[in-house]
Amino acid sequence: MTVHLGLSGYYLDNGNNKMAIQQADKLLKKHKDLHCAKVLKAIGLQRTGKQDEAFSLAQEVATLEPTDDNSLQALTILYREMHRPELVTKLYEAAVKKVPLSEEYHSHLFMAYARVGEYKKMQQAGMALYKTVPKNPYYFWSVMSLVMQAISAQDEKLAQTMFLPLAERMVEKMVKEEKIEAEAEVQLYFMILERLGKYVEALDMVRGPLGEKLTSELQSRENKCMMMYQRLQLWPECNALSYKLLLKNPDEWQFYLSYFDSLFHLMDKSWSPPNEEEHCVEGPVHTTVAEAVKFVVDRMEEEDKKDSRPLRGPYMACLELIHRLRQRGCPDEEELGDPLELMLQFFGKFGDKPCCITDLKIYLHLLPPEQHTQFENRLGELVPLGEVGEDGFGFPGDTKALQRHLCVCQLSRVLGLQHTLDTEGKLCLITELKAHYHYGLQFGKSCLKTELQFSDTYCLMVAHVYIDLWTETGDENMLWQCLGVLEEGLSYSPSNAQFKLLLLLLFCRLGAFQPVVDLYSSLDAKHVQHDTIGYLLTRYAGSLGQFAAASQSYNFSLRFFHSNQKDTSEYIIQAYKYGAFEKIPEFIAFRTRLNQSLHFAQVRTERMLLDLYTEADITSSLEESVKAMGLCPEEDDIPWDNMRDNRDLTVLFSWDPKDRELTEEHRRLSLEEESVWLKVRSLTLRLLASLALLGHAPSKRNSDKTNENGVSAKSSTLQTLLSQLDLTLQTAAQITEKQTQYPFLGPPSSRLASALSSGSCHCQASALQLSLTLQELETTGLDDSSELQTQICNSFKSLIVQLQELLSRCKGDVLEMKDSRLMTQPSLLETLVFFVETVCVVLWVASYSASVLRPLKSSLQKKKKKKTKDSSTAMPVVLSGFQEWTGSLQGIVTQALDHVKGQEASLTALKLAALTLGVGHAQTQEECGFTRAAMDKVQTSYLGSLQELGDLLRKRADSLKSLKF
Amino acid sequence: MTTLRAFTFNFDICYNNYGIPFYLQYLAHWPEYFIVAEAPGGELMGYIMGKAEGSVAREEWHGHVTALSVAPEFRRLGLAAKLMEMLEEISERKGGFFVDLFVRVSNQVAVNMYKQLGYSVYRTVIEYYSASNGEPDEDAYDMRKALSRDTERKSIIPIPHPVRPEDIE
Repeated sequence: MTVHLGLSGYYLDNGNNKMAIQQADKLLKKHKDLHCAKVLKAIGLQRTGKQDEAFSLAQEVATLEPTDDNSLQALTILYREMHRPELVTKLYEAAVKKVPLSEEYHSHLFMAYARVGEYKKMQQAGMALYKTVPKNPYYFWSVMSLVMQAISAQDEKLAQTMFLPLAERMVEKMVKEEKIEAEAEVQLYFMILERLGKYVEALDMVRGPLGEKLTSELQSRENKCMMMYQRLQLWPECNALSYKLLLKNPDEWQFYLSYFDSLFHLMDKSWSPPNEEEHCVEGPVHTTVAEAVKFVVDRMEEEDKKDSRPLRGPYMACLELIHRLRQRGCPDEEELGDPLELMLQFFGKFGDKPCCITDLKIYLHLLPPEQHTQFENRLGELVPLGEVGEDGFGFPGDTKALQRHLCVCQLSRVLGLQHTLDTEGKLCLITELKAHYHYGLQFGKSCLKTELQFSDTYCLMVAHVYIDLWTETGDENMLWQCLGVLEEGLSYSPSNAQFKLLLLLLFCRLGAFQPVVDLYSSLDAKHVQHDTIGYLLTRYAGSLGQFAAASQSYNFSLRFFHSNQKDTSEYIIQAYKYGAFEKIPEFIAFRTRLNQSLHFAQVRTERMLLDLYTEADITSSLEESVKAMGLCPEEDDIPWDNMRDNRDLTVLFSWDPKDRELTEEHRRLSLEEESVWLKVRSLTLRLLASLALLGHAPSKRNSDKTNENGVSAKSSTLQTLLSQLDLTLQTAAQITEKQTQYPFLGPPSSRLASALSSGSCHCQASALQLSLTLQELETTGLDDSSELQTQICNSFKSLIVQLQELLSRCKGDVLEMKDSRLMTQPSLLETLVFFVETVCVVLWVASYSASVLRPLKSSLQKKKKKKTKDSSTAMPVVLSGFQEWTGSLQGIVTQALDHVKGQEASLTALKLAALTLGVGHAQTQEECGFTRAAMDKVQTSYLGSLQELGDLLRKRADSLKSLKF
Repeated sequence: MTTLRAFTFNFDICYNNYGIPFYLQYLAHWPEYFIVAEAPGGELMGYIMGKAEGSVAREEWHGHVTALSVAPEFRRLGLAAKLMEMLEEISERKGGFFVDLFVRVSNQVAVNMYKQLGYSVYRTVIEYYSASNGEPDEDAYDMRKALSRDTERKSIIPIPHPVRPEDIE
């Protein structure tokens, strides 16, 4: 029998679900009640899409409360695949009741609870397990589950007064009985004491015999002691321990920070050692600036003496100390030397390392502005360059010299010296940087495709200066040349992510989404990156009318978010098994952070909106689409109050001076703006769901009372959502008034401002409002509703006016050639997308209108037939108004289509080859080629967008035809 | 200079190449073997990730380097050596006989670096790295360094014949 069972299981393992079902059936013919065969069959059914059958078959077995291993395991697999982990808990609850001494089933039950995060039950199950088999890990599983209850408790008081003290007592019991065995148990004890704020106890524990078990992690005891000293503000100990650790490893940055922190705290308190012999348990304490200065100077001298590679730590510590002394207005900084000389010294030692710039950047503020140029010149003296050639430049002889030169260029930019140059100066700078870039390529001739070129950073800096020129002068030629230089860079260094990111950003700003998809794919973004940099893509995907590409880019992100849900719970269980208790809250915090991600909520919402815009009422009705998405207008699954902005807004390198950098305020404003825009979109989506369900409502005449209630409930949802939208749009207007400008390389502005100024938001809101009025008409009927009818007809007319205005804002050329210059107007494309989205919404409302008016009209005709003699009855205004409306809508869509066709034609007619490039600033033939290629990409992308928009408009125009009576 | 700290599972993993489950697995099992280095400006400089495995009875209990990565701008600072030293120290404390790692045969830079750090080629593993886009699979060197417990340095005596990936433990 086991062999046969194995066969069915074998087929399942190999993905042959049909054969698995057949095998299971064969077995069941012979043994009617073979539970396991039933479950295997259920798995086969589940995997072939027969969820309902699978579920009822599984329940047949589950209600019998099986206790055989095979059935239990198979059911566990099935429930997991059904995403019903809570059923596994029921299964094992029954099993342990029947077999109370089974370690295995108790343990499965614990894990089943862990999978659904039932901490209280985990605590009990852990204890039950320990009572069955008194092994330490089980006891501590239970303790950890108490800690988890504390962490997840809404009420911090409950955590502090109940869960954590109980956990502490449980551990203390084991300590008293001398039953502590493993390091993990001590770690957990420490976690509990720390969370309880019992730092003294925690410190004693770590220093005591239990602390001796903390051996796996390096410096585990020292790190924990340090943490407690800081919490307890035991500055003498903190200072002495930092000092000790720095003597051992003078490159450990964190201990310099704690050394300085503690030093100044002690100075502020005028602390003096109680005993000259022994300052504190950790050893000697420094309490004066003189001691600190000497300590740092000694560390530097040690490094100077060494034959091997010097460490950066002591030299950086010197700058850090000056910085801190200056902050305190302490005059002793002179004893350490002049910051300018110290930085030159640092550059002398480390200037050939790529990190030199990141290090020095932190302390540039120590130099007064009047020293900046001097600093740059002095740095230049330390760069060995060859003889100056015909072009006026000298070049580095090797990669080390190149790196030094590059570092000076970067520093000069960070100091703002490049920004102050005039246009001519900037163009000269570009020529110089380009020359260095091209010269440096020779050092990387043998580089693999996966390696970066040594001189890549020059190329990137050229691009930045071009961007400066473009934003300052508005000269689009600068932008085209910038694209050209980046494309050239990428051709020599195909894995340079910074080139790709900047190209991606520029193409997006230009409204050309097509090249972006390939660039993003070639970045090979992995897992969390979809959350951190996905915004670069998804911000523009839908808004530029590349719907297929948009759908693809939302999927990149969504796939990651969905898989993350499953992944984490498995590893939480693993962490319990291996006693990595400290990791469990981290795993959970990570999962929460992803679940509350702004980007996740955005792609979720945009994905559904996009599907509706491109499919609803084309491939299937709006109602079917809404149902297929499982959309429920009453439900809001976006964590508005806990939204996490996981975007990496500094992913693009920047060497801009401090006053041009991204600030916390920028971050806050960007999040605010994105959240409000998300709210607008999510409300629109829910309103559309609401509208779809309104359409489904049975008409008044053949409905009973409950139905009527149903209808009014639906319309009240619509009403609520509409007023929420109204409020949100008011907030939105206030936000856009601020006209926040972010740094060029920072976050892109949201679509909010253009959505509002195009008028599309208000037009969509009025259309949805109209559906509510129509619903009223449906209840009232055609008689005695002339006021309502007039109101509706006015709305019809007003919507036409609004749409017409919106369309007029789309008019103009997205791309044109003027005086041999190429000019773009990408905002026209974005507005056109808003127009198309709005047409979709208006047409869905029109379709709903038709569904309301049609029965009214036919009942009117019936009435008319009855009173044939009374021919004077005119057609009700709302009906003639509706006909007129659909006619006008048709007209607007046709106009829009004509506009799109016109744009396509003029784009196709543009002969970019006729452009003379390189006028003014000498671009080489090769560079011109790259610029031209970039221009081609933009042109093709615009065409692609127009085609997709045109296609969608045509489909919408077709759906309009069916609305006529 | 560097801040070396335990890997806290958060967005640190942004710039790495493995899937999330891979990291979670290591963190749940060998958290002490996961160390990151951070620059004073907060930039992630690099990280090392490893594990302890093998039979003690057969004197095969050892530390393994699963991943070692240093960001391009923080190279040539001795960071990789520092991280390796830490992993070796952890393995010493666990009573390992040796530390081992796999490296692409073609990655001469890495092979030389490991040699400088005291590692030697123990054996070649045929087609250990599977290649995409139709290129041939690549061999790996299994490199080892004996720890103090292996007083006779038996664990690093090279095996002359290459082995297949399925034959290694």
